[in-house]
Amino acid sequence: MMRCDDISEVLGAWLDGQLRQSDAEEIRAHVAGCPSCGEERRQLEGLQKALRATFQSASTTIVFESFWRGVERRIHQKRSWYEDVRRWVRDFWAPPQMAWSVPIAIILLLLGMFTVESFLPGLRPRESRNNFAAVDSIDAFGRNVAVLREDESKTTVIWLYLNQEGEDESSGETSESGRSF
Amino acid sequence: MSPAAKRANRAVLFSGVVCLVAVLSWAAENVSQTVQINIGAILASNQNDSFDARLTHLEKQLKVLKYRSYRLLKEESQKVQRRGNATFEIPGGRSLVVTPQESGSRQLALKVHLQQGGKPLLDTTVRLNSGGNFILGGPPHEGGVLVISISATAQ
Repeated sequence: MMRCDDISEVLGAWLDGQLRQSDAEEIRAHVAGCPSCGEERRQLEGLQKALRATFQSASTTIVFESFWRGVERRIHQKRSWYEDVRRWVRDFWAPPQMAWSVPIAIILLLLGMFTVESFLPGLRPRESRNNFAAVDSIDAFGRNVAVLREDESKTTVIWLYLNQEGEDESSGETSESGRSF
Repeated sequence: MSPAAKRANRAVLFSGVVCLVAVLSWAAENVSQTVQINIGAILASNQNDSFDARLTHLEKQLKVLKYRSYRLLKEESQKVQRRGNATFEIPGGRSLVVTPQESGSRQLALKVHLQQGGKPLLDTTVRLNSGGNFILGGPPHEGGVLVISISATAQ
């Protein structure tokens, strides 16, 4: 059961025919039996009639022809390339288009992570690469062995000390192999 | 759905596809299956002052050894699967077995075994950047010493 306060809130919508059939019927029955709501209805209807009359009389004095001509001119008007670019730039920075900045940012980030070298191997000069090798384990089976890391050329050298072909240094013979760096 | 919402949805979908492709390519790059091993067997000696023009790319590194003469005896390249063996015949009846232990796009670990007539001379495990090299030297050969440049590239 609707109260007068509730009816008052939806009275305008009812008069405009915007309510559902069942609601409209309930309000109609209430307004017919309620003097205060009936009075409010009459006032609203009077106000609507007065407004309609005012708008109708004012509309006869407005010249719409120039307005429609303006609309037509703008429809057929050719925009300059400068205007197109300006519009594209403006639209690009508008929020919906800015959504594309997310994948673009991801692509740039990934490019940075992979580095140019990953995509184009050999692009960087050989000299600038860290060519050092790390020796994890080494076994010369009882022979002398040296590991040298030379900073200038970033070279790792493993030097096996053998006195002659196939023999180790314990044989006592000397050769160029027994050098020091 | 409004055009703006459609555009935003498209952008999000595109972001997802980009991320997926990036992750897959990253994974493919980092789980490299094949390694190319290059070796160069060089005779270093003090018999003369010649420098083999084919060794220009190694000149800086070879200078560390302070010999007067360098001559390329053999150059060989083999592609090998991870944990597979690449065997190279080295002058002087020696052989070099290189086994990639692990391989990513940037760093490789190589197990290197040098032997002569079935007798082991050296066993070592070396980690190096893909495309990098190291020098293994010392075995006497033809009045000089044998220097072997070993490089590996993940593919």
